[in-house]
Amino acid sequence: MEEQKKKPKKKLDLNRIEMPKQDPMVRKGNFDEVALGYTHEMALQEASRCIQCKKRPCTEGCPVNIEIPDFIEPIKEDNLPKALEVLKRKTSLPGICGRVCPQESQCEAKCTLLKKDAPIAIGRLERYVADWERAQNKTTLPEMAPPTGKKVAVVGSGPGGLTVAADLQKLGHTVVLFEALHVAGGVLMYGIPEFRLPKAIVQGEVEYVKSLGVELHLDTVIGINMTLDELLNTEYDAIYVGTGAGLPMFLGVPGENLNMIYSANEFLTRTNLMKAYLYPEYATPLKMGRRVAVIGGGNVAMDSARCALRLGAEKVDVIYRRSRAEMPARLEEVENAEEEGIEFHFLTSPIGFLADGRNNVCAMECLRMELGEPDASGRRRPVPIKGSEYVTDVNTVAVSLGNAANPLVPNTTPDLQTTKWGTLVVDKNGKTSKALVWAGGDIVSGGATVISAMGEARIAAQAMHEYLTG
Amino acid sequence: MFSIVEKEELTPHVHRLKIEAPLVAHKAQPGQFVILIIDEKGERVPFTLSGWNRDQGTVEFVFLEVGKTTRQLAQMKVGDTLNHFVGPLGRPTHIDNFGHVVCVVSGYGIAAITPVIEALKEKGNQVTTILQSPDPERLFGEEKLRKISDELVLALGGNGGIPNPTSLKPISQLVENHPEQPIHRVLAMSSFCLMRLYCEITRPKKIPTFVHLAPLMVDGTGMCGACRCVIEGKNRFACVDGPEFDGHLVEGWDVLTARRCSYADELIGQQSFQCASCSQW
Ligand SMILES: Cc1cc2nc3c(=O)[nH]c(=O)nc-3n(C[C@H](O)[C@H](O)[C@H](O)COP(=O)(O)OP(=O)(O)OC[C@H]3O[C@@H](n4cnc5c(N)ncnc54)[C@H](O)[C@@H]3O)c2cc1C
Ligand SMILES: Cc1cc2nc3c(=O)[nH]c(=O)nc-3n(C[C@H](O)[C@H](O)[C@H](O)COP(=O)(O)OP(=O)(O)OC[C@H]3O[C@@H](n4cnc5c(N)ncnc54)[C@H](O)[C@@H]3O)c2cc1C
Ligand code: SF4
Ligand code: SF4
Ligand code: FES
Repeated sequence: MEEQKKKPKKKLDLNRIEMPKQDPMVRKGNFDEVALGYTHEMALQEASRCIQCKKRPCTEGCPVNIEIPDFIEPIKEDNLPKALEVLKRKTSLPGICGRVCPQESQCEAKCTLLKKDAPIAIGRLERYVADWERAQNKTTLPEMAPPTGKKVAVVGSGPGGLTVAADLQKLGHTVVLFEALHVAGGVLMYGIPEFRLPKAIVQGEVEYVKSLGVELHLDTVIGINMTLDELLNTEYDAIYVGTGAGLPMFLGVPGENLNMIYSANEFLTRTNLMKAYLYPEYATPLKMGRRVAVIGGGNVAMDSARCALRLGAEKVDVIYRRSRAEMPARLEEVENAEEEGIEFHFLTSPIGFLADGRNNVCAMECLRMELGEPDASGRRRPVPIKGSEYVTDVNTVAVSLGNAANPLVPNTTPDLQTTKWGTLVVDKNGKTSKALVWAGGDIVSGGATVISAMGEARIAAQAMHEYLTG
Repeated sequence: MFSIVEKEELTPHVHRLKIEAPLVAHKAQPGQFVILIIDEKGERVPFTLSGWNRDQGTVEFVFLEVGKTTRQLAQMKVGDTLNHFVGPLGRPTHIDNFGHVVCVVSGYGIAAITPVIEALKEKGNQVTTILQSPDPERLFGEEKLRKISDELVLALGGNGGIPNPTSLKPISQLVENHPEQPIHRVLAMSSFCLMRLYCEITRPKKIPTFVHLAPLMVDGTGMCGACRCVIEGKNRFACVDGPEFDGHLVEGWDVLTARRCSYADELIGQQSFQCASCSQW
């Protein structure tokens, strides 16, 4: 064996423990969670593989620098309260991030054991600890600072908004959280499907934030019901904007507005937020044909494709213009999608959609691509192959190219500086160009991850606290 | 929770509701709409405001029973509550002193145009209203519109799947007399099929014609793209960039109408929106 040749001090255990999953043939017919989580034994075994590196490369890989070896060590000793305490120092959402972080490009990408192809399953262990806490069913309220008399408005209840709200309320400020939709949670509720992130877990976090005393106002659109200036001129001393990247992107090719061509946001919102998979018990329908094409290669595309399959599609094709290696989706979900029978067509780009006689989409014209020189993102740019056009039958399309910054707040706040992509300009503490207004998450990044939204929220909450008490 | 404080049946299967929603009433403008959800398992459905009272914190809308949610709404009583009610959404109708404005309305547009006409009158416009209704039994709102408009033209009949509704006659007539008897603006709040025809009638004489587009909507805040319309070659979202658009710049009416009526088939079990007996007429 390879590790014996190199003679490490202690024999490395390279047996990365797989997490049990629902059988692909079964799970493609239901919306229940796919990954079932570690058992106690599995968690112990996986945790004991960690060699507790002095330099902690894994911690560097985590966007919020969780002290990873410090939370793994107590798992070995079955001291889960201690493990949880270490996690909570840096993240307020371990149960969520353990499930949805792209670990293969963050913490696990830096794990020493990756060199041996068997990084510690950090995300799975994080999930294990968080699920243990949830099973205890007795969230202890943290210590609350005495009231400061300051009032803060948090706009948007995604992972960022929830984190800022909890942090500032704990520090003694009065927090009101505004949400445009009828449910709190942002993308965690309307985008990421139940089978990847059970909604009960998200709502558990929302309930926790409310239990701290945060007032949640649903059905309230900031920019419409109140502008930022109206909030500041009335009761509020500061504002956090966490309105996310809710502007769906389209391809801009002919025929894209035909009936049965959806943006991923519509497709996923109907399915997840409105529960179209339980239609007609739930009133919202989703009309879908048997052959579904999903355009894109990120998490949004994987989620659309796997929802389509579960809603009863016979054939689901993912069309991506680069190759598998460039796919931004979380690796585990790509593997899951493949196992479930979703077909991938790499280096392919749709150039138009064709209608049946009634303006429903019935076919898609595609062009094959090859990889050229690297572009600004460092990924090799796809270039069209001349004459490679072909037409394929489809009855439903989910355009899953991702989202751009939500324009509602910037459009109604003239003195809020934005970039040419419509994202908000902030300093390293999340302070915007407008007095008393901070921001973070996808409205600043233009679309990143749950953990980065959470991390930016933490930093901004600290800066807001210093301002409010300084 | 949002309480129903008044309910009135205007004509069979057409009702007016008054809802307690101070936040909505506070900012409501003519032409804007709300989205409501009746209960935990309900759909998000949009309705255009037909009136409001800022002091009382109430808003009103008129709805036609066409499918599941609207039938359920019709069963509700004063004192019942709606789980969710958000608005005012969309851009308000553009109001200015235009001169002579012709409003063409049918279906719920008959009620939803009320605040628009009132605002137009306040700005000193002369308003001619054409009210299209399939038959005398289904006619409502006549009295109110007669009172607030300078002139009301009734166009009864013309349904039945053939695009030859009677409202086309009075509007063609008015357009014919233009510019001798000038029309400065046409505002239409009606079904897609009708509004499209009005636009073609006014196009040759370049009379500014604005249509109130109501495609399918889900979130109503610009997040889902369900309501996208092509305006001058660009995708626009009716819920945030509209619902009022320059009718002469609307492209792809066929596709827009197909998407609008996507759920109006036997699969979902509602026939009411099929053109032959479209309830918007
Ligand atoms: C389908 C999909 C799958 C994804 N999968 C993953 C994944 O596996 N792993 C991962 O790390 N990341 C994933 N992401 C990205 C991740 O979800 C986002 O980066 C993260 O949710 C951003 O959080 P946020 O708090 O900035 O905003 P959001 O979660 O976008 O929440 C913003 C909230 O603000 C509300 N809002 C917007 N405007 C207003 C207003 N004017 N007034 C009041 N409220 C308003 C919105 O309704 C929304 O609830 C995925 C994204 C999508 C769309
Ligand atoms: C901006 C806007 C303003 C509107 N204002 C009014 C109003 O003031 N009064 C009124 O009676 N109706 C109005 N409508 C239409 C109203 O929303 C639909 O009639 C309602 O959603 C039907 O719901 P349902 O459950 O009863 O019918 P469903 O069973 O859902 O469907 C019945 C029919 O209604 C159509 N429909 C369903 N959902 C929508 C939707 N979200 N938008 C448009 N059409 C839909 C479907 O194509 C279907 O044919 C408006 C729609 C929009 C988009
Ligand atoms: S938060 Fe995400 S990146 Fe950080 S340790 Fe946990 S799983 Fe890894
Ligand atoms: S790098 Fe890997 S092995 Fe080393 S401490 Fe971190 S998780 Fe453990
Ligand atoms: S209704 Fe979703 S974008 Fe308009």
